[in-house]
Amino acid sequence: MAIASDKVRRARPLLGTFVEIEAAGAAKSKMDAAIDAAFEAVAQVHRLMSFHEDDSDVSRLNREAWLRPVKVDAWTFRVLEAAVELHRRSKGIFDIAIAATLQNMGLLPRPDGDPPAAVDGRLFDSIELLEDLMVRFGHRDVRIDLGGIAKGFAVDRALEVLRGFGLASGLVNAGGDLAAFGREPQTIHIRHPRDPRRLMCRVEITDEALASTARRFDLLSSAETTGSAIIDPATGKPTDVIDGATVRAGSCMMADALTKIVMICGTEAIEWLELHNASALLISSDGDVRITPDWHHAVHLAA
Amino acid sequence: MTWARYSLPAAAIVSITSPAYAMQYLSIEEAQKQAFPSATHFTEVQPGRVWKAEAGGRVAGFFIFDRVVGKHLYIDYAVALTSSGAVHSVEILQYRESYGGEIRSPSWLAQFVGKTSGSALKINGDIRNIAGATLSSTHVTEGVKRVLAAYGNRLR
Repeated sequence: MAIASDKVRRARPLLGTFVEIEAAGAAKSKMDAAIDAAFEAVAQVHRLMSFHEDDSDVSRLNREAWLRPVKVDAWTFRVLEAAVELHRRSKGIFDIAIAATLQNMGLLPRPDGDPPAAVDGRLFDSIELLEDLMVRFGHRDVRIDLGGIAKGFAVDRALEVLRGFGLASGLVNAGGDLAAFGREPQTIHIRHPRDPRRLMCRVEITDEALASTARRFDLLSSAETTGSAIIDPATGKPTDVIDGATVRAGSCMMADALTKIVMICGTEAIEWLELHNASALLISSDGDVRITPDWHHAVHLAA
Repeated sequence: MTWARYSLPAAAIVSITSPAYAMQYLSIEEAQKQAFPSATHFTEVQPGRVWKAEAGGRVAGFFIFDRVVGKHLYIDYAVALTSSGAVHSVEILQYRESYGGEIRSPSWLAQFVGKTSGSALKINGDIRNIAGATLSSTHVTEGVKRVLAAYGNRLR
């Protein structure tokens, strides 16, 4: 017999971050089993899509797909399909073929024996998604990184697993990319991108996803702010207009991907947000906070 | 649709007190059961730090409690090693920080599953570093590396 107030929350290091999973409103044994299974879904996405694991689909694609078509897992294929669709709809702003630029900046490692790849904004167009989960790259310099979308996808898969257990509510949070289900709204506190020790606002979400991203502020190496790990494909340089962005959407994969578009396009991103029925909050580098009008009710600024 | 604009004065940001934050996920006993559900008992090999998990007279693996410094305060975690000394799972037991942050999201790092003491653990290498958590990630990476070096080959 379930006790309504019962709640289990656990955390594991996965996806290069700290993944928290919460289950509520079921027997303890059921919640434990649900959380174990949800962590396994996240671990599976990590194994398939990590840039850092030699035998991930992403690493195999980067090594071999320019030589011959490479078969990938159905999950990897789904993420690639979404990335291609986003690339098309965003007129090239969302770009998974940015890994070579990130490698050149030292933000992604270069595997042994992998020579520096040429950086070319048109590389994305040579990614071909074929029949039977096969993928081919038309150019040897294509290097993909799913870092801008796979974390959100992992959150969605884990949440789907939790839902399958018939819990009253559940929440999955992968380092700020999160999604929840259940009748009660969940309150999420968001850090100020310039000072992560401070809370900037709280946001309420119900049956939806939220993703946040910020420029990197590396206080160890310099008092100056550094660029972000998000590259504007048009310039090949880190974005610097927006300090941080939070996006609400139906799926965490979409919220995750849209934060990248908002970081690059700033307020211009509104057309893509509307297209995907998403809301956003952004903090521009001049300190102003902007919120899409459909979202005021849910965002409570610290002021 | 147009954006609504707010000016957030610096003072307003500062006026929010950073709460000390502690999240207790699992006790040592709970984490032991999670890591080795089939184990019938846990023998303390090193007091408060290392346990041997046994299932029906057979060694199922080892459970090591460790603590690293996060941004400012300690993070307690447990590494479960298989009987052959590979990482079976890493579970966070308690997280403490002196700032609020995304309260549901104390972000820090690393993927350790399958690492053995022979494989290198490094920031920006096989373990990804993420924005704003450099101190935590460095210390966690060092923590698991230390656990593997100390116990990976020794516990059998």
